[in-house]
Parts: sequence; structure tokens; C-alpha cells
Amino acid sequence: MLRPLTLAATLAAGLLPVAALAQTLTVYTAGPGGLADAMAEAFEAETGIRVDVFQGTTGQVMARLEAEESNPQADVVVSASWGSALDLYERGLLMEYVSPNAETVPDFLKHTHYVAQGISALAIAWNTDSGTPRPEDWSDLAAEDFRDLVTMPDPAQSGSAFDLIVGLEAARGEDAWDLLAALADNQMIVPGPNAAALNPVLQGAKAAVFGAVDYISFGRAEQGEPVEVIVPESGTVIAPRPMMILASAANAEAAQAFVDFTLSEAGQTLVADTFLMPARTDIEGRRPGIEALTVIEVDADAASARRDEIIARFNQVTGR
Amino acid sequence: MPMVFRPTASGLMTLAAATALLLLVALPVVFILAQAVFPEFARGSLEGAFSRLNLIFEDARLLGQTRNTLLLAASVMLGCLVFGLPIGILRGLCHIPGARVWDVVFLIPFLIPPFIAAIAWMMTLQPRGYLWQIAGFDMGRQLFTFAGVAFVMTLNLFPLVYFAVSRSLEGVGGRFAAAARVSGAGPVRAFLLITLPLSVPGIAASLLIVFAMSIEEFGTPAALASRTGFEVLVTGIYTRLSDFPIDLNGAALGSVILMALVLAAFFVQNWVATRRSYVAQTGKPANLDKARLGVWTAPVLLLFTLVAMIGVVIPLAAIVATSFMGTIAGGLSWDNFDTRHYQPIFRAGSRAAQALVTSGWLAVLTAFLTAAIAAAVAVVVVRGQGRGRQAMDALSVLPNAIPAIVLAVGVILAWNSPFLPVTLYGTTAILLVAYAAILLPYPIRYAVARLRQIGGSLDDAARVAGASQAQTLGHVLLPLMAPSLIAAMMLVFAIASRELVASIMLAPAGVRTVGTFVFAQFEQGSVQTGMAMSTIAIVITSSILLAVNLWLARQGGSAFSG
Repeated sequence: MLRPLTLAATLAAGLLPVAALAQTLTVYTAGPGGLADAMAEAFEAETGIRVDVFQGTTGQVMARLEAEESNPQADVVVSASWGSALDLYERGLLMEYVSPNAETVPDFLKHTHYVAQGISALAIAWNTDSGTPRPEDWSDLAAEDFRDLVTMPDPAQSGSAFDLIVGLEAARGEDAWDLLAALADNQMIVPGPNAAALNPVLQGAKAAVFGAVDYISFGRAEQGEPVEVIVPESGTVIAPRPMMILASAANAEAAQAFVDFTLSEAGQTLVADTFLMPARTDIEGRRPGIEALTVIEVDADAASARRDEIIARFNQVTGR
Repeated sequence: MPMVFRPTASGLMTLAAATALLLLVALPVVFILAQAVFPEFARGSLEGAFSRLNLIFEDARLLGQTRNTLLLAASVMLGCLVFGLPIGILRGLCHIPGARVWDVVFLIPFLIPPFIAAIAWMMTLQPRGYLWQIAGFDMGRQLFTFAGVAFVMTLNLFPLVYFAVSRSLEGVGGRFAAAARVSGAGPVRAFLLITLPLSVPGIAASLLIVFAMSIEEFGTPAALASRTGFEVLVTGIYTRLSDFPIDLNGAALGSVILMALVLAAFFVQNWVATRRSYVAQTGKPANLDKARLGVWTAPVLLLFTLVAMIGVVIPLAAIVATSFMGTIAGGLSWDNFDTRHYQPIFRAGSRAAQALVTSGWLAVLTAFLTAAIAAAVAVVVVRGQGRGRQAMDALSVLPNAIPAIVLAVGVILAWNSPFLPVTLYGTTAILLVAYAAILLPYPIRYAVARLRQIGGSLDDAARVAGASQAQTLGHVLLPLMAPSLIAAMMLVFAIASRELVASIMLAPAGVRTVGTFVFAQFEQGSVQTGMAMSTIAIVITSSILLAVNLWLARQGGSAFSG
């Protein structure tokens, strides 16, 4: 992957990235940004292998992989959407690897070619100072109390918001679309990816996020923001974050070591520190775990095949 | 135009400048066009040629985005005239108390990343925002509209008009106006008939840049427009590229439309600028006496203050205030004052510190590289002759027509091809390549406009006096162009130090710039840390610009006066 002339050209430009010198590993990862950096540093301290991180949304990561398809740069990829791993697998782009540390990862969170790093769930993020009644269920946000006070991440930009729509449709059928239409009638806004949906709620411009990624809200709550994460008892979807090694990885051994490290006790504790649920059942999370949730099963494969149709319908129902 | 250069010397210069333009600008454009024509080009196939080009005229979404883009750019141009023209004229013709300070103040909007400015306005005007906390009402309804987006974009760009107008009026000098006065014209008449028409190229050039920048602006529409359901070409292209599955062909088609729009605007401006001669500096000392304001001092200062309040103070205050808030919900209260969001930035060896260093170096290198290329291009275009001149004239138009996002796409397509024996892709140097190509328009426009105002008789005089070509260039033309080049370099430095779009798309793994660091904070980290980083970057950049400006003042000139 590394070409000698690339190095020469870089030297000539006077902008030498250390990347080209020592043994390095390139990791493309969806958020949380702090976790990617902390994991890279801890891994580097233990193995001496330098990790170069590209961090973006799942969409950005996947887009970059596709743009670089003819000349791949990444070794390890962590995405926030289970379906994207399946897609890469089916296109033959992944390397088979089962980490010895994955033993206590539940079966539905691992595969021969990829394994969960951590898990988030979708929830209502509610501003407790907003003066609105505490919402219990998704449908409460369509009530008059929340008129003009609800935001939702854009399913075209947030893979988890997309999964939520698919999950609600699986659980409720057409009622799910009626709910989305009622939310749109209630002046719900769809301002962008997850952070864009949460920020107006923090300042109080809006009162609640429909389909917030839970770990981000837990993190903000810990910083002292008056945000409560409410998971409706009627059920929600979880978003396991697949970690995989590309078949084109220049340094397969280092890549496997990185996967092992992420699934080690030290690595999983770092995952837990960001308020994600750790993939390993024997590592304690810092928030309620899967067993406390009513999880709606989603057929990721079927959903990603219907992606365009679902997003088009969402845009139509919400009048965008 | 007098023939000054021997063919060999000008040929050499043309070759160097042309090589730079071809490599930096033409190469990515060729790949974009190829991708638009051949949908499978990125996968190495030429199948289905021209099969999707018709979408440019048929795809309802593309057409809607094109219409929105044009509407927005037109509104922003108008807005920039309203905000920038009056203060620009006053600054150019009158003694304004603290003129140099105002120049630095109006440079600040360039230092605020548009994306951050948009978020700052959002946090100020939305319900329960800072305005509501202070004054008890909000303007969310006004902000999240077409007019709101245009307003915020105007505030990012109006300084372009201010600087171009004031510099151009100073460059025109009082001499022609004085001649008009001697011939019996009143001051207003002299201004309207002489000074203003002579500064038309400068104003037209600045409006072109405003137009080009507003149609390629990403941050403001990305932050505000999704709330208004208002999609423009740039956000459309970005969506096609950043959402999986990506649509390279659609992005290339949108890029072709963008390029066509900017090229059209350029030709209009070029027609305005070249159909007459605007030579205003012929070597005779210009009468630089500026009008005294007298009783008008107070109202004029009030106007400057008002523009500075809206354009600079409010967004800046919102950014700084946010960075010092313990919690967002805590709002503007002293209990909520907290510096903890600065800690991750000041941690030794932090990613934030690395980002600052990377962006700093890149911005400095970009400023020097673009200024060098621009000087060569300007000399060839304005003073050269024959085929080389025409080719260069056409080539020098290209950078104007290439929005940052388009260029980034082209750079990926061109530099990531597996057939290249050498590539900069995947290294930090690719960012320098992209920044230089994106920011070349400023130095080229400034240098060409400046050189057009410098009469060829000066070159002739130097040559008659026995100076060689190189000496003429080094001792006469370059010093005369220097103020414009330095002003352009400062602009380039300011914008490059916080560039966002190309950085997101091209920065290799492990490399962070100020722009990508801040963007990531809003996506995943904390709003306050994002604002803290912006504050630090703004303070550092403005200190550097202030220092350069003070140094220039001690040299007896100003980056902003002709």
C-alpha cells in the first residue's frame, strides 16, 4: 500500500507524516471521537504500533472506503451500522478473523468476518428543564405538549435513526408511518445528523429528540446538561457497532492485534467509559445494559435493500 | 500593451505558471468532467458515455438546487453591497479615525469558520437562545428562512467588498479626481464621474468572488438550510459523496453545473474589467489627500460600529461565551462560567494541538505558494503577448470556477488512481495541493487587477534606463504589486487556516486540521470544546495578521492600501 515514491514526494513537500515511517495501522471509525483516540493511544502504548485514525460519521467512513476502492488506505474499520458490515462482507472486502477475546460476546453480535465493538440504543433524549411532561413512549412526542418542540436525526445521515424507522415499522407496521406523520404535523424538525438534533434540545430551543443515540446523551448528562435518556417500554432498536478488518489490509497481524485489544478488558472498559454498552457480557457498562431494554429485532439485510424506498417515504411523510 | 518581455523569458515564466495551474487545477477538472461523461470512470470503465448528462437538464432535484443556489448567491451579493459598499467607499476616500483598526476588525469574519458562525447565530437567535436570555425575545422564525441563510452568509463575505472597494478607491488615487476638481467639478460629481467608474474593476472583481464563494459555501447551508428545507448544489454534492452509497456521477454532474455558473459570472466580470482601460498609476506621485469628515465623524463612526457589531462582535461574542459555558443549558450566567472545555485542547501533545500546528503550517505554505503562482500568472496575463498569454488567460480563469468541494472530488479521482507511479494522496501534502488550488483565485484576482492599474510605461522606463527584464520585474513590478499580493496572502492564510470541506474529504487518517477537529466536536464531542478551539484559532490567526499589518505600517505601507 505504501509506495516508496509517495514517501519521497512527501519528504519533498516538507510535510512528513510519521505514518510512513514506523509500523502503522490505519483505522477508519465512526464516533465517538474520544473513544477512537483513547483506544489508539492505549494500543500504541501496549504494542508500539502507531494508529492513524480517520473519524467521521458512518456515511463519511463508508463513502471514503468507496472513493478509495481502487487504492485502499484503511486496515480496520469501525462503523455504527451493522448493515454496512454485512454489505462490505457480501462484496468480499473483509478478512475473516475471530478474535480469541470475543468468547463472551453474544452470538448475535459476532460473525466470522466482523464483531461488535460496543452497542448503543435509540432513545428519547428529554430536556428535564423544558417544562414539558416526561415522555414515556415514542407517541407522546406527537402530543400537543410537544408541539414545535421535537427534533429527529435525519435517517439519510444517521444510520441509527434509519434503523429506528425500520424497527418501528417492524413492530407497528403502518402505524409507524402514521406516527411519523403525526410528529411532522406536530412541527417536528429534522435538522441533520445526531448532534444537530441534540444541540437545540440542550439549549432549550426544543424539548426532546425522537431517536437520540443514547450514549451521546448520557455523556452530555454527565457533563451536567439537564438531559434524561428515556427508552420507551414499547421497544427500541439497538445499534451494534461492527468492527472489521479489510481484506486489503497491509498489516493483517497488527490489525488483528487491534481487534484483540479492543475486545480485551482494557479496551472494553474504554468502550464502557463512553457510555456505550460493551460488546462483552462480562464487562460492566456504565449505564443500563441490553437486558433492561425491550429490543425490536431488525433484519438489517432486508432493511438496507429497502434503504432508498424507506428514506424517500420518510421524506414524503415528513414533508421534506 | 507594449512588448516588454523577450519571448524566451516570458516563455519560461508562462511554462512555470502553466505547469502549476495544470497540475493543481486542470487535472482535477479533467477527472470531474470525465466522471460526468463516463458514469463508470472511477471504476476504470468508459461504458455508458454521455448516458447521464441529460440529468443536468432533467433531474428535478438538481434543477431545484441550481435555482436555490442562484437565488442565494444573488441575495448574498446584494447583501454584501449593502453591508460592504458604504463603509468601503468611506474608508477609501475619507480619513476614518482608527482606519487600520477597522481593517483588522473587518478581517475577523474571514477568521470565523462559516460553519461556526452559523451555529453561533443559531445559538443566539433560536428560542431560548442568547438573545432571548438577554432581551426576552427570539428570532428563530427569521433565522431559519431563506433570508436568514442569506443574512448569515452575507456577514461572512461582506468584508471582501469592503476591502476591494476601499483599496481600489485608494489605488485610483485622488489625482484624477483632483484633475476633475480643477476642471470645475464638485466633489460629488468628481466621485461619481471619475473615481467610482475607475474603481469598477475592483468592485466587480470582489462581487465575482462573493458570488463564487456564496455558491460554493458549505458551512452555512449545512448548518442552517436543512432546517429550512432549502437545498443548494454544494450540500447536494456533499450528500451524494458522504452518504453511503456514494454517487460519484451525480456529484460530478452537480459539480459541472457549479463550474458553469461561476465561469459565466467570471466572463461578465472580465468583460466589465477589460472593455476599457483602468490604468490609474503611471508613476507620478498620486495625491493621497483624503477628505476630512468634520461634523460627519460621529455618524460615520456610528455606521462602522453598527456594521462591526452585527458582522463581528455578536457572532464572536456568541462563540467565546459558548466556549466558557459549563453546560449549554446553564446559559449566560456567571455561575455557569467554566474553563474546563479548554482543558482537552491544552493537554500536551493533544490532537487539538496537533491540529493547530498542522493548519498553521499548511496555511503559511499555501499563502506563499499561491502568491508566487499568482504573481507569475498576472505578469503573463497582463504583460505577456501571443499564444502563451491567451492560454494563460484561459487557464487563470479555471481556479475561479472550481468550488472547494468540486476540487476535492477531482483531487480524489485524480490522485487516488492506482495507475499513478507517484501520489500525494494519503499524505498531508495533498491538503496543500487542494488548498492552493482552492485559494488561488484571491491572489490571481488581486494581482491581475493591481497590474492592470500599473501603466506599462513604468516597465518601459525601467527598460530604457537599462534594467534587465528580471530587474524590471524585481525592482518595479513586484514592489508595486506587493501590497495587493500581501493582502491576498493574508486572506489566503486566514481562510486556509480553517478550511473545512476539502480537509474533511482529503485529510489522511491521523491528520487533523482545525476545521476537521471543530467539525468533529460538533458531531461527536462537545459544542463548548468546538467553540473553544475556534476561539483559540481565531485569536492566534488574528494576532498573526495584526502583527503583519503593524509591521507593514512601520514599513510605511498597508496591506490594504494600494
